[in-house]
Amino acid sequence: MLKTLFPTLSRLRFTVQLVMLFVTVYGSVIVGTYMAGKISNALPALSCAYDQMNGGYCVLIPTQHILHHRIGEAIVRAQQLTFTMILPLLMSFLAFFAFFFVLGKAFCGWICPLGTLQETVGMIGRRFGFGLRRLEDDDLVAARRVRPVKWLLLLGLVFLLPLLTGLGVTPHSLGNPYCDICPSRVATSLLTGNTDQLALRVGDGWSFALGATADFLIGFMLVGALAIRQPFCRICPLLAFNALFQRLSPLRLVKTRHENCGQCRICSEACPMDIQEISLQEGRKAYTEDCTLCGRCAEYCPQDGTIRIKWGPITLFSSRRDYYKNKVRGEWPDGSVKPVRFMKRSEAGDGR
Amino acid sequence: MHRTTLLLTLLAATASAFAQQHDQHGRPPAAATTAWTTQPLIVAVPGGRGERAAPQFRTVGLPAAEIRVFGPRGGEQAFPVEAGATRLRSPAPESGNYHWLSAWAETPAHVAVATTVWYSSNPGPAPVDLLQHAKSELEIVPDPLPREHANYRESEKWRFIVRYAGQPLAGQLVRMETERGTRTSFTTDSEGVATVLFPRDFPPDAKGEEHNHANAGFVLSTERQDGDRHFVTAFNHIYGLDGERGRSLGWGAAFGLAGMLGALPLLRRRQNGKEQ
Repeated sequence: MLKTLFPTLSRLRFTVQLVMLFVTVYGSVIVGTYMAGKISNALPALSCAYDQMNGGYCVLIPTQHILHHRIGEAIVRAQQLTFTMILPLLMSFLAFFAFFFVLGKAFCGWICPLGTLQETVGMIGRRFGFGLRRLEDDDLVAARRVRPVKWLLLLGLVFLLPLLTGLGVTPHSLGNPYCDICPSRVATSLLTGNTDQLALRVGDGWSFALGATADFLIGFMLVGALAIRQPFCRICPLLAFNALFQRLSPLRLVKTRHENCGQCRICSEACPMDIQEISLQEGRKAYTEDCTLCGRCAEYCPQDGTIRIKWGPITLFSSRRDYYKNKVRGEWPDGSVKPVRFMKRSEAGDGR
Repeated sequence: MHRTTLLLTLLAATASAFAQQHDQHGRPPAAATTAWTTQPLIVAVPGGRGERAAPQFRTVGLPAAEIRVFGPRGGEQAFPVEAGATRLRSPAPESGNYHWLSAWAETPAHVAVATTVWYSSNPGPAPVDLLQHAKSELEIVPDPLPREHANYRESEKWRFIVRYAGQPLAGQLVRMETERGTRTSFTTDSEGVATVLFPRDFPPDAKGEEHNHANAGFVLSTERQDGDRHFVTAFNHIYGLDGERGRSLGWGAAFGLAGMLGALPLLRRRQNGKEQ
């Protein structure tokens, strides 16, 4: 039954993504208004606190809020760093990483509503034949040059500016700077029919500039995702936040060396984040900071057991040649779908 | 050396200036004046930065001796009103966001109760139990409370349940008064629910200060005669501007479109590029 409904890992993942998109954007319709507060304590990396219909909110909100209102303000009062002051921040982090312990970076690849939206737009792009562009030396720009951006956003907009605002150094409108530029805030609130977050606050230069950045990003993402897979994920500070502790989660990507590695490179072609290390490296180096644990590399690896998704000692999914062969019959590694066949398929003509 | 001193002086001056601007953020309902109503109120006393954990409240129009705080985890604590104000602490320290404040004054023939809510910005349980639990004979209970980052806003409809001795009161009149001068009333339905429409009574050019939106106080009140005793209960809080006031959807859409245009070259160039 399950095998019929979810013949591939991709099908299962996309189903989970759609369910979680519904839960994170409209969750309170089912579970009640206050569930955001409740779930946020246990599952703090869900959706956006700016939506009033969601089922829980993103960890970046309490992080900025606490740095701004707790730590910054307390330092201003020249108090010593007491347990009561740091406790809320610790609680947010601990709750986040309790959740993270189970799911690891799969939050990004399986649950994040913005990731699902980008992936859906990308599917439309592949369906309508928009050529795929990659973060590679001979195309847009090398992935390694983009990777630091998410760390800078995490450091500057999630940690530093809220703290400086709490200290009174920077204006109040810089208290939640990352949320103010986050395209997910705009996208998920628009999905509930609320245009407040798309509208820009006029009269305050900083608020206007930050909101304009968010709107520009969501516009860029909606069109750009037709040609680039997961454009915003590459600079998302939540991915950096997850990457900080990716080695602590039992859920991880495991790659072992095969003699063909680095030659066929189908796995990195299948990777929506254009991670080259997955085909060139092995072990810890193959599981990079950009990995979202979507599992496409394992699906498209034609070698038995070379790439696996493991939770502790348990192998959840392992690359297999026969699985790969079935997979490429319907979809190329880059996500392009093959034309619908009206004639009986010739088994011998398939495969790569 | 001189440059460093100058920089530090500038930094300290900036911090001081912004510190003053920040004083009001996240405060519970505070009204500049309470002359707009004769109903009993609990209002916040404007305080300094970092007083979130222990804000000051005062009662207005009510000779209450104490303010009782009901915590989100079932805790309850009374704080005496001294010199007209009370500094509160959560009876659920370091946990729980939603707190119910209640002050009352009674004579053998008359019971007046003022209520409000205080958000202490700590993670904790949903206020379902807090609101269901009867805390006075006659109550006006929000159903639901706005989430912490939300608020009552003009033009919105919110439900309030009127209960007496823990039971919903059908057909009960609930009066609403706002700091902006609106006087109106609502009647509860068969389940004791009054659906309150927040009036659009801010001036057209009303704006927020910094990221605090402009807001004003409101009070809902109801009364009931039971034998020889007359009960009056009020719930007060603040409401703010419609979310789209002071915002431009046009500018937002324009920047969204600019983003789309910015991404268009990615589509055009690739279609003429190499084959997949």
